[in-house]
Amino acid sequence: MASVHESLYFNPMMTNGVVHANVFGIKDWVTPYKISVLALLYEMTTSKPIALQERRRLNKLILPLQQGPDLTLDQFLKTVEECCPQTAYAVKLRLHEMADGELKDMEYFFATLPTPFSAIDSEAYKTSVVGLFMRHMLLAYNKLSFSQVYKLYKALQQYYHSHYSQPGDVQVGLAADDSDMDLTSTEDNVGERMEKEELDTRPEVVDRGPLSQKQAEYFLARQAYLLKNDENKALKPSALQDELNNMLKFNPDFAEAHYLSYLNSMRVQDIFISTHSLLHYFDRLILSGSEGKSNGDEGYGRSLRYAALNLAALHCRFGHYQQADLALQEAIRIAQESNDHVCLQHCLSWLYTLEQMKGSDSSVLTEDSVKMAAHFCLPYLVSLGIQSLVQQGAVQGKTAHELMDALKDTDILHWKHSLSELIDISLAQTTSIWRMYGKSTMAQQQAQLLLNMNSLEQVNFGVQQNNTEAFAVALCHLAELHAEQGLYGAVSEVLKHLKEQFPPHTQHAKLWMLCDLKIQFDRAMNDGKYHLAEPHVTAIAALNKTEGLYRKAQVLKALNRTTEAYSILQRLQLYCEKTKYTEMIIRVMLVTAELHWESSGFATALPLLLQALALARQHHLQALASETILHLAFTQLMLGVPEQALGVLHEAMEPILAHGAVMDKGRALLLAARCQMAMAGTRSNGQRHAALGLAVQSLGEAAAYFSMLDCKERLRDVHYLQARLHHTLGQTPQRNKCAMLFRLLDQELQAPGAAVPLL
Amino acid sequence: RNASCSVVQAATLWINSELEFGDLVQIKKQLISVISLCKERGLVHSVKWASELAFALDPLPKNELPPSATFTEEDAQDMDALGLAKSYFDLKEYDRAAYFLRGCRSQKAYFLYMYSRYLSGEKKKDDETVDSLGPLEKGQVRNEALRELRVELSKKHSAGELDGFTLYLYGVVLRKLDLLKEAVDVFVEATHALPLHWGAWLELCNLITNIDMLKSLSLPDCWIRDFFIAHMYTELQMIKEALQKYQSLIESGFSKSTYIVSQIAVAYHNIRDIDQALALFNELREQDPFRIENMDTFSNLLYVRSMKPELSYLAHNLVGIDKYRVETCCVIGNYYSLRSQHEKAALYFQRALKLNPRCLGAWTLMGHEYMEMKNTSAAIQAYRHAIEVNKRDYRAWYGLGQTYEILKMPFYCLYYYRKAHQLRPNDSRMLVALGESYEKLSQHVEAKKCYWRAYTVGDVERMALLKLAKLHEQLNESDDAAQCYIIYIQDIFSCGEQLEHAEVSTALRYLGQYYFKNKLYEEASLCAQRCCDYNDAREEGKALLRQISQVRDHMEASNTTPVRRVSPLDLSSFSP
Repeated sequence: MASVHESLYFNPMMTNGVVHANVFGIKDWVTPYKISVLALLYEMTTSKPIALQERRRLNKLILPLQQGPDLTLDQFLKTVEECCPQTAYAVKLRLHEMADGELKDMEYFFATLPTPFSAIDSEAYKTSVVGLFMRHMLLAYNKLSFSQVYKLYKALQQYYHSHYSQPGDVQVGLAADDSDMDLTSTEDNVGERMEKEELDTRPEVVDRGPLSQKQAEYFLARQAYLLKNDENKALKPSALQDELNNMLKFNPDFAEAHYLSYLNSMRVQDIFISTHSLLHYFDRLILSGSEGKSNGDEGYGRSLRYAALNLAALHCRFGHYQQADLALQEAIRIAQESNDHVCLQHCLSWLYTLEQMKGSDSSVLTEDSVKMAAHFCLPYLVSLGIQSLVQQGAVQGKTAHELMDALKDTDILHWKHSLSELIDISLAQTTSIWRMYGKSTMAQQQAQLLLNMNSLEQVNFGVQQNNTEAFAVALCHLAELHAEQGLYGAVSEVLKHLKEQFPPHTQHAKLWMLCDLKIQFDRAMNDGKYHLAEPHVTAIAALNKTEGLYRKAQVLKALNRTTEAYSILQRLQLYCEKTKYTEMIIRVMLVTAELHWESSGFATALPLLLQALALARQHHLQALASETILHLAFTQLMLGVPEQALGVLHEAMEPILAHGAVMDKGRALLLAARCQMAMAGTRSNGQRHAALGLAVQSLGEAAAYFSMLDCKERLRDVHYLQARLHHTLGQTPQRNKCAMLFRLLDQELQAPGAAVPLL
Repeated sequence: RNASCSVVQAATLWINSELEFGDLVQIKKQLISVISLCKERGLVHSVKWASELAFALDPLPKNELPPSATFTEEDAQDMDALGLAKSYFDLKEYDRAAYFLRGCRSQKAYFLYMYSRYLSGEKKKDDETVDSLGPLEKGQVRNEALRELRVELSKKHSAGELDGFTLYLYGVVLRKLDLLKEAVDVFVEATHALPLHWGAWLELCNLITNIDMLKSLSLPDCWIRDFFIAHMYTELQMIKEALQKYQSLIESGFSKSTYIVSQIAVAYHNIRDIDQALALFNELREQDPFRIENMDTFSNLLYVRSMKPELSYLAHNLVGIDKYRVETCCVIGNYYSLRSQHEKAALYFQRALKLNPRCLGAWTLMGHEYMEMKNTSAAIQAYRHAIEVNKRDYRAWYGLGQTYEILKMPFYCLYYYRKAHQLRPNDSRMLVALGESYEKLSQHVEAKKCYWRAYTVGDVERMALLKLAKLHEQLNESDDAAQCYIIYIQDIFSCGEQLEHAEVSTALRYLGQYYFKNKLYEEASLCAQRCCDYNDAREEGKALLRQISQVRDHMEASNTTPVRRVSPLDLSSFSP
């Protein structure tokens, strides 16, 4: 029974048990849609002069029409009409001639097509895009057998008439064939139409037909490009998967579709399907590359190695480090056995990446990788390795000029080989390094450079800014830099853009999430709204554990829960020392010093701060060094040596005013004023007035900075000091004004219990 | 396990309450009448099945023969057209048959009319597949008649005008249009309307995917349902239940049916009870010497047992009957494979696939052949095809795993072995393969787990324990290793068979040394003596014996009590 019903699925492409999809080189074949495109081309080459603008629009249309999937006649005519209604009409007329005529009309059409071989001066010359397409079509048409030609003609008729039968009733003049329609057959038609509607409402019916190999390749290439560079423009994951499944249903041998399916399921973090697709792809690839050589450089041995390597990459992406390690070892072993140095280099670069992800030191491995890659002339891997080294070097406190030199060298390499992806990374890295060193202007400049750079990709589908990690990093830095300057409007703009460009489910979304939370946290802390800052801590901890702990300590300190804060800081410091996270160590030391202040342990804070300062200087972390100096100066002030404090402070003042955040500027000035006031007490009368005047000036500037950030607690202090100074100087109106401002703020801030920041 | 228990209960319930075959004569009468009905409608396969079953029952006396079906007025009117159309139908001129039937009113003529239209569409589709416009279009070739047929039939269906046969046709049309849920409902309806039509049951069988679905259907109360249930159990790999069911069918009077015998044989094949299956197939061939169906399964069994002459005889015999059958090609492929002529074997499997590309077994077997020929890429291709035809084909997954193992990619093949293991959780071969891969990756904990699990699910090749013991030995876990060797030896001796690759001597040698180290000299000397029975361990056994006697002499001087850590091996009850 079954044998009667089962269709005879015979594949003429099968030889020796292996299906060769393209044994005859058939990549494309004639469909009614292709005939329409041919008619359009024919009209364009032969017909009367078309207006230049319209012609230009039509020319721009040709490539998408040739490469895209088959459209319905409706869609096709509409697209053409938008460019040139006159040509659209001519095309329609020509199709009408064929569809309503006889088979010979179609044959005649193909016969009269301008042959690309003869027409030397026309656009349809054999080497042009149009000519190539026409040649493909003519060849495919000439290959058709008798019954296939008839089938094509039938399909054309149906294609043409479906255009007319769609709106409302069947137009008798145009519809169907001219055979007499007796009663039963009309009934059938009506039934069928009803049936068709019923069937088409079912969602799983895909209305698009199969793509030809060319169209499929184009589709895959475009989607893969978009996935890599600008995920938002690609199809939605589910829609893309549907398309791929459809494609694979019609041609299960189309291996590349499996690879795209792998990439697509990576987007939604589906390990099951992604593994399955990846392995399926390589199973297929092994076949296609198997001709002749069995284990050589080109044969399937090569794809085996890369299969294992890709599997390692997959496990890496999902954070299965042990699995990734095993797969990588396997790839390395096979590559070694077959002396494939290129593959080995790729393996090595993955090996150090894996080590890095696991959190262990891999600089030796990376150096080796760079050397070897340079030896085998693999510029991509070389500069990737160098970038990785730079990153590690920056954290471990290599001197700035070494890092910058390395980056400059790689940049030369990138531009030479136009590795645009690496140029992006390099710029983003420079931004990060400048920021780490506390040079906000330079960082800002580099970030802008990256964002304003035109993409170097040759095939650019109208993508200017794409959503790679480099862009995300640069944008996050930009947001933070703006936040430092108190430009919160700009910050929210940048974050909005980030949210659009990197939706929360995507790979790099965590970057901006963390950045957003940090900015909000800092704002809440500056405003003294600690209850608002607290919920952010948990969110930050979810994204970055170390950062979360640090912020928690800050909140606890602000809420006067000193003991808890202290224990957290101790833990954090131990952990950071183990992982060599210098920036965090210094910050932790600063907060610890602040804790000592709370208990008036200024003397105990001093060695800690000196240690922090030494560390910061050693690693060239200017911003942190300045901050440490501020702390140091404050400590000295409290210890009763204002002269010393002011001297130290002057050292930091310049960099802070040049590069620092607004908050730091205000704090520095406030501190300077306090030092000046303290010193003024010891001076003689005339000098005293001058010194106090200076202090008033500093306080004024500080107040300006604080009001920029709307930092009320500090502003209150400033106003108090100002009032006192004016009082001493005998400037009553100013004093009264400041006193009033102070009173207003003081009434507003009636929140006891929380610590007032000392510095 | 719970599920299968409840299934067994359900099965026994059915047997007790409904399996009443007392009236074999009645059954025979029903069969005879359904045979003539199907014959008139050109449903040849159902006719064949029913006839085979009818043949297995005793012939009826003349006066008991059922009367030929009564004629209605419509039947009489349509008789000539029907006769003409049937003759065209038999000659495969379906359009012509349909043309002459278009005005007929009777049910019989209507069925034949629709069926001709359906078959005409199928035939055209097959012709067109070869002649399609491009390689990508082949999936798009459709039976154009299906939609029209569905519309007409659904109209009649809602009006309640369909009889059992037309319902069956309606179901087939729905299935072809991938409307599987509707198809199941219609087939159930068809079985209610005409329970004796085996074709409807068979179609239903293809649509049921699990036991819960089977239980949820309300099927007609008829003796034929037991055949269906038994068939279903075989399909769902519930072999024990299936065998029970078939046994009860045989006991109730169908003992001569070749159909049941073949089904039981296939079931035994599925649970790898090779001897039983072989015996049944031999019996089957005696009863039905020109039978080709299921002979590929038979040849698989012969292949596993390496019975060259029998396989050769079978192959030649089948070629004599019909050389262009899928089964014949598979048998010949197996024959060549057994003779290590793998190129020829692959050629014959290819031929089988040309005859029916959806023949799952052939794809997998071809993969095995390519593996033998060391053509790994073609093997991978063949296995992938098998998986495409049926995702649940564990042999193909296992084969893919083996291929990658041969390519020395133990981590890569893990995925495939895991897949195979998922499909056959209680098959020790996959577990052993998994264990070996883990061992190669130095994942000893996982490897040990796999081996132990393989042993507990019933190790067919008896390799798991040995491997486990060796692994323990490697890791210097001597107590565990000794335990495993002890169980291994007991296992080997208790199963009684002689195994080619048995490594009892290795086990004994290790145990001897182990006992010696632990100062259990009694046991050590016993093992050493046993070692002497084997050629490869004789010298070592003797050496150990000498050592033991030396130590014993020494020990008598200084009397110390040995430390007991492992229960001594009791070998007295076994004889190698």
